[in-house]
Amino acid sequence: MEKLNAIISNHISNWNMVWFGLIFWGSVFNAIAINYELTLNPMLWYACGLLLGSLAKIRGTWLWKV
Amino acid sequence: MWPASWQSRENKRNLALEGVGQVAEEFSFDKEKEIARSFSKRFQWEMMLIGVGQATIWLCLWPLVIYGYISLFVGSLIAIVCACFAYLPSHEAQHGNFSRGNPKRRWIDSFVSHYTLITLMFPHDLMRCTHMKHHAYTNNPEKDPDYDTASSKSIWGVIVATQAGITKYQSIAETYKDDKTFMKSFHKGLNVALVYRAILLILVVMFPLEALLLWWLPSKVGVIYLSAFFSWYPHYQMDTGRYKDTKFWSHWMPRYLNHSMQLHFVHHLHPGIGHYDEPKAIEALKPFLIARKVPGAENIPDRVTHNPLIRL
Repeated sequence: MEKLNAIISNHISNWNMVWFGLIFWGSVFNAIAINYELTLNPMLWYACGLLLGSLAKIRGTWLWKV
Repeated sequence: MWPASWQSRENKRNLALEGVGQVAEEFSFDKEKEIARSFSKRFQWEMMLIGVGQATIWLCLWPLVIYGYISLFVGSLIAIVCACFAYLPSHEAQHGNFSRGNPKRRWIDSFVSHYTLITLMFPHDLMRCTHMKHHAYTNNPEKDPDYDTASSKSIWGVIVATQAGITKYQSIAETYKDDKTFMKSFHKGLNVALVYRAILLILVVMFPLEALLLWWLPSKVGVIYLSAFFSWYPHYQMDTGRYKDTKFWSHWMPRYLNHSMQLHFVHHLHPGIGHYDEPKAIEALKPFLIARKVPGAENIPDRVTHNPLIRL
């Protein structure tokens, strides 16, 4: 159980930005696209979210470095 | 030979007075403490009302917006106001100012703090343990968890510091890794933070724009507001030491809009004074604060105007 907790905890601390980008920003981009009747594949918006999250992970921050 | 508990009490007292210079007997620490204690008794019902009220309003916004009773834009504005009011009731609870040392009332501290912090997505235990360290090590670059915002050079620096997110907490955990009590609260808080994050990610799949504008954005604005007025303004360019780490300052904004953080220094001196009793306490303590050379104390008005203290 402890090992599982450690694995989950490590995964979250390493990949939380990527998951947040994919799910949160992907969903938000997709909803905005629907709102403005942009008829592109929804996968594109989730890919944008994933890209944003991946960039944040590489840079270590969402916006500016402190 | 003194009993161990007495020695411990004496050590705490010595620590509290560390760096405090000599003053006339009439302004002694004991007399100051006696006055402060007289303002540290009242039940902080206003804070409980604000905390429970704002969180309830915020929760009601969800069905109101989803079922179209109010627009998302209006809902978002109300949620931002709620977020700005969310921290202070928790702050009172973190200092036990609802229970006032009564174990039977401790649940009030816990309930108010957990409930009010929903709007900000902050875990109570994490806030409490880091805030206690902030009080113990105010303005210490290595040990004060709020030093990143307090040392910012401008409001922009504060905004940038607030988005550091988990990185900040990783470094705090590293600093206090040997403090078992701290780490226990810290991990408990981290688990609650994970639950908040999971709920947000579930909500965003079902209600994407509502999750963005009713929760994520208001919590960000709330955190920036809090960091600027709670961490930055009162501690900016201040030293370390009991009477030197927080200042009395003035601001163009009416006192109610910045949660009276001009008076934050008295909270650092006597955290048991209830927020809405601080103006009266400052009026009573002014000669002590001047004698102790608290930064800006000479500018404290004899009567703190727009005193929000309401007697029941």
